[in-house]
Amino acid sequence: MISAFIHKFSSPKSYVRLTEKLYPFFIVLGVSLLTLGWIWGLLFAPQDAVQGNSYRIIFLHVPSVIFAELIYFFMAICALMHLVWRVKLAAYLIKAAAPIGAMITFLGLFSGSIWGIPTWGTWWQWDARITSTLILFIMYLGVITLHGSFSNLIKADRLMSILVIIGVINIPIIKKSVDWWSTLHQPASISISGGSSIDPSMLYPLLISIIGLGFTLISLGILSSRSYIFTREKNKKWIAEHV
Amino acid sequence: MFDLAFSNLHEILDMNGHGIYVWSVYALGISMIVISFSIAKKRIAGIQKKIKINNASS
Repeated sequence: MISAFIHKFSSPKSYVRLTEKLYPFFIVLGVSLLTLGWIWGLLFAPQDAVQGNSYRIIFLHVPSVIFAELIYFFMAICALMHLVWRVKLAAYLIKAAAPIGAMITFLGLFSGSIWGIPTWGTWWQWDARITSTLILFIMYLGVITLHGSFSNLIKADRLMSILVIIGVINIPIIKKSVDWWSTLHQPASISISGGSSIDPSMLYPLLISIIGLGFTLISLGILSSRSYIFTREKNKKWIAEHV
Repeated sequence: MFDLAFSNLHEILDMNGHGIYVWSVYALGISMIVISFSIAKKRIAGIQKKIKINNASS
């Protein structure tokens, strides 16, 4: 019954039709909020008493690392759906999401390194948070490379899904690394359960930047997944009718 | 909360010596996002063109 339900709502055809309608809203919302959040954070938020203006990197760094983890978690759910219920759309979504995840993880690492120069006096430190995020970046590259190395795409989908599931163990390690080990990296500044250690004048633009980047990345994911679906399903009748 | 944190363009660019770090991060971030969208759009246009040619020839 669950399998029938999942397959009914996860056909590439219905996905393409639905996302075609959603894309214009998501891209406008994403770019508008990201622009608002970044302008607010860069020009209107007050200077930090300890870090000066270098802290303004937070409005790109924190959203980037949040989505670096969330995209991998999303890929792990898709991998599970592909392996358990053989949902082919789930494999297509992993393939489309992996390069976006790699890009945003790189951006998180790069922005953190640049932030480290004026703040810590070094651009790199082999501490738990940074090393586990680097492993996440390597996992994304591994997923992309593994899928690209097979000519049998069905086999590639399955092996890619297994690798994604194995790699998901790294996500709680990244999340908890600042609590479990002594590290240069500061603990989380914002918390869903409350108790954020950041002033509202900095918190609001940060939250807007997070939501804005989220919708922007979903829009990018929609475009990438549609192009991959068109490639994989190009001989199907519905594609010929759709294009 | 909505007062400009800087008094002129030079201060905005310099950010008390931190401008080079801050602006380089945002320049790379915006460039990567824009390039990713551009690549994805070109791929869609390319595959749609191929499918249309295949449809016309079959």
